[in-house]
Amino acid sequence: MTGDDRWYEAAFVVGITNALNAVADGLGETLPPLDDASAGAEAAAVFGDIRTFYGLPAGAVPIPFGVVARDPAYLADVWGAVKRAFTERRLTRRHKEALAFAVSLTSRSGFGTRFHLGELRRLGTGERGVMEIVGVAQMFSSYTKIADTLQLSSDMADIAPVDSSGVPDPGAG
Amino acid sequence: MPTVRLRDASEYPEPARRLFELSRQWFDYDFKEPPAMSRVMAWDPHFGGPHGRAMKRAMAPGEFTRGEKEMVAAAVSGANACTY
Repeated sequence: MTGDDRWYEAAFVVGITNALNAVADGLGETLPPLDDASAGAEAAAVFGDIRTFYGLPAGAVPIPFGVVARDPAYLADVWGAVKRAFTERRLTRRHKEALAFAVSLTSRSGFGTRFHLGELRRLGTGERGVMEIVGVAQMFSSYTKIADTLQLSSDMADIAPVDSSGVPDPGAG
Repeated sequence: MPTVRLRDASEYPEPARRLFELSRQWFDYDFKEPPAMSRVMAWDPHFGGPHGRAMKRAMAPGEFTRGEKEMVAAAVSGANACTY
């Protein structure tokens, strides 16, 4: 196992977050989310697993899952990918929610920003921690646009910043 | 090609060069020339100074580690389709 594991995990979180946001923000009103009764038994079973994972009350289904429940087999596969991506492995679940919150905020996803902010808080992140992620997303949204406007080429690709605090690495060894 | 001519560190006045030392300390790396973004920010220390301090406040260890935040910054840069 190498440090690349963490980057694969991060990339999968970012990718599947973008996929959920696209459906929620783009289709949530056009194709109203189904509930347990309208989605059928197969999809309802998946909804139950989703509620357990997110600690949601009975009947609650996050918008993107309710939308794609029109095809229960597809829903099951999408959920399988989401659950795998957000399950704690080399990166903590809270860190993954921070990544999802930051990319949702950056990509202006109303659904994703609200959903992952809620998850961050549910997993114990305080207001200071939320502001830390807001700050990182905001400042790097500035740096990136300055770099793009001036068409700067990357000149720090080989520089690994020193992390004296250490990233939690439960899979090391 | 950059839109502007990036000046060498030696072309900056002394107060602006202080930002380069802060940059070196932040990255803990001895650059031959300061990174392009550092030289851009040093063009106007009245902008680059507070911008850099805001970034450092945001990136400082708190509820999340510096390493965790560096990964968030990379994800945000990716979301902004920026390779810098």
